[in-house]
Amino acid sequence: MSASRPEIVADGFPRRRPRWMEIATSADHKDVGRTMIVASLGFLFIALIELLLMRLQLAIPENTFLTPVTFNRLLSLYGGTAIFLFAIPLALGLFYYVAPLQAGARGTALPRLGQIGLWLYIAGATVLYSGFLFTPSEAGVNPLAPLSELAFLPDNGVDAWAAANGLVTLGFVLIAINLVATLHRLRAPGMAWRRLPVFAWAAAICSWLLLVIGPVMLAAITMLLIDRNFDGIFFADGSGGAPLLWEHLSWIFFTGSYMLILVTALAAIAEIVPVFARKPLQGRGVVVGSLVAIAVIGTLAWLQNMLTAPIGIGWMYYAMLMSLALIVPFGLILFNLIATMIGGALHVRSPLLFSIGAISAISIGLASEISHSMVAVAWRLQDTTDSTAATHFTLIGGAVFGGFAALHYWFPKMTGRTMGETMARISFWTIALGTLLAFVPLFLAGGEHGEVVDAYKFFSGTGVSTLNLIASIGAFVLAIGIVLTLVNAILSRTAGARAGHDQWGGDSLEWLTLSPPEPHNFDVLPDVRSDRPMRDIRDAIAHRTSRAEPATPETQPVA
Amino acid sequence: MSPASPGTDQIDTLLWLGFIAGAIVIVAVNGAMIYALRRYRGARGAEVGPEQAGRLTQLRVGAVLTAFAAAIFVVSVIYTGKARETPVTGAAGLASARTEPLQIQATGQQWLWRYDYPNSAFSYYRLVVPVDTTVELDLVSTDVIHTWDVPELAGKRGAVPGKTNHVVFRADEEGVYKGQSATFSGQAYAAMRTEVEVVSPQAYEDFLKSQKADIQAAQDRVVELIEGGEEP
Repeated sequence: MSASRPEIVADGFPRRRPRWMEIATSADHKDVGRTMIVASLGFLFIALIELLLMRLQLAIPENTFLTPVTFNRLLSLYGGTAIFLFAIPLALGLFYYVAPLQAGARGTALPRLGQIGLWLYIAGATVLYSGFLFTPSEAGVNPLAPLSELAFLPDNGVDAWAAANGLVTLGFVLIAINLVATLHRLRAPGMAWRRLPVFAWAAAICSWLLLVIGPVMLAAITMLLIDRNFDGIFFADGSGGAPLLWEHLSWIFFTGSYMLILVTALAAIAEIVPVFARKPLQGRGVVVGSLVAIAVIGTLAWLQNMLTAPIGIGWMYYAMLMSLALIVPFGLILFNLIATMIGGALHVRSPLLFSIGAISAISIGLASEISHSMVAVAWRLQDTTDSTAATHFTLIGGAVFGGFAALHYWFPKMTGRTMGETMARISFWTIALGTLLAFVPLFLAGGEHGEVVDAYKFFSGTGVSTLNLIASIGAFVLAIGIVLTLVNAILSRTAGARAGHDQWGGDSLEWLTLSPPEPHNFDVLPDVRSDRPMRDIRDAIAHRTSRAEPATPETQPVA
Repeated sequence: MSPASPGTDQIDTLLWLGFIAGAIVIVAVNGAMIYALRRYRGARGAEVGPEQAGRLTQLRVGAVLTAFAAAIFVVSVIYTGKARETPVTGAAGLASARTEPLQIQATGQQWLWRYDYPNSAFSYYRLVVPVDTTVELDLVSTDVIHTWDVPELAGKRGAVPGKTNHVVFRADEEGVYKGQSATFSGQAYAAMRTEVEVVSPQAYEDFLKSQKADIQAAQDRVVELIEGGEEP
């Protein structure tokens, strides 16, 4: 290389287009990831409004605040929004932003694919909400066939639901393909799988999981659209179709998504706890192995949702076996997380606070799922508000507490500013109180009085009036808490305290980049020698500065 | 909830065991975390040495968790088996108590339950059954998926179009037991309720006869009207 090629310096070029257009047309994983996170938090807000309207209707018995049709439409929108537009994209957005940085990659392997994925997600969300212009779906959270067939819901709401979530799911699959390709091919020199941070591991696990469950949902949605629009018979009984087919396919996707949300949250917590306990994660290999086990075994437990369906008792025991087997990996992860805290020096900043909340809520949700996996008990508890409460504890623990922990943790990296600590604390305690108030009464209403799920009203004299009123009040408290964090994020983006490039003293490579990172992520790709590369770099810098070399503050440290 | 059928006793017991297992998990996880927070919050010593739990500890914890899960599995299988058997054999488990169950067809339709009795009488909304008799409901659906759920008498079961599902129960006491459909089935789903009235065997026979006579009378009246050239 004697004749040196001209070096292109990208710094300092004037922007040719307005900022929003730069972001909208960017294929950079950080721009795409950030847009996804912002959009998913927006849909969290919309899902909250839908939840509040439904809880208002259910505040008093035999309420007539909403008509049954309006309630059912809100219910259908809420389910689609909370899972497809909030929880999964928040996880994917975080992965898409953070995982390539953690792996020490300068970008992603197939950036355009991720960009298409983002815009399919936005397009799907637009289709779902354009349903307001005509008629939103009335088919419920999971539009079970044959209710979702043309004969029972002849307007085009279900078509909109199916098309929307089909687009969104396709987008998820494309993003997953890019994450898989990136994490397999573009890791920094020396970044062996055994050194890859837990969160990047989770990105790979969840992407592989989506490559399995995403096409299953796409197949189910395609069949539903064929049934509704082209005289198909996939889910019609008689004539060769089977209503239970939809249940199997959709539950594989929804159960897999449930596991995806939990794997994301637990992996984020496994990044956060060691940093704020000033102690390396205990049992790293066990934690990663358990995350893989949760994704595989958890998805195989899809039949747990069908324990009242006409299936053989052997299949029910199979579902129970898979669900109960999950106790082992979940238990091992929680054990190692808490053992990491014990003996550490705990600095309870907002990311750790939300992580603790997440572990607590997830433990309550999963503990009640134990009962739901016991076959005979499922015959009592399934399809009651007890299952609503269990699911919400787990998913609020995973997506809201866990998601907010990740948001507070990586916000300085994404924006160069930290989120307000006082507001974070107020928000945390409000969400914690709201979650308990909103969902503990539903455990009692469902478990003790058998209140059924998804109903637009309940009847007085069934013993659940007070419980539902408390739950409705709790939902408002919960909403206030969540909105506080959303407001905190918006305000801190411009007015937060300036953050350093290595704000928390993390051990993974994203803290080597600037905050926010340059488009090319790393000036110099580090040579990774351990599973805590950033600590090695800090040690090297300390060694060098001890020899009194001047440090240059505004450039990335070079190991 | 007061169980009124031998099978629901077993479900109740298992529900309590599940509740206890869940409570153990919640207390263990949150207790350990609260301990860690109180004891090590802002603890001194910037970088704590890697006093990592070894492979043996991980194996031990894994073994305890596996034993916990396996115990729950075995107990659940035993009680689920009992919950399925006792309505048929009786709580004492006597083989002599095994008789042919009374078969009634329950048809879910948006948004009402229809019950067809052996003598071809039928009723809507309210199911009448004799006390101390094993009843087997054949659940079918004419339109979408419904779930038949009368928690005091039996575990819930889904009625899926094109399939037949079964609920077996045996009511111990006379009375009226309320239930509600438990699978989202469209607009009036919340109002899709049902009732089971448990009566003496004699009252059950009388009910069947009078119900059949009423149905016959109504049909005769319609035939009469049509023959008379009127719109029924």
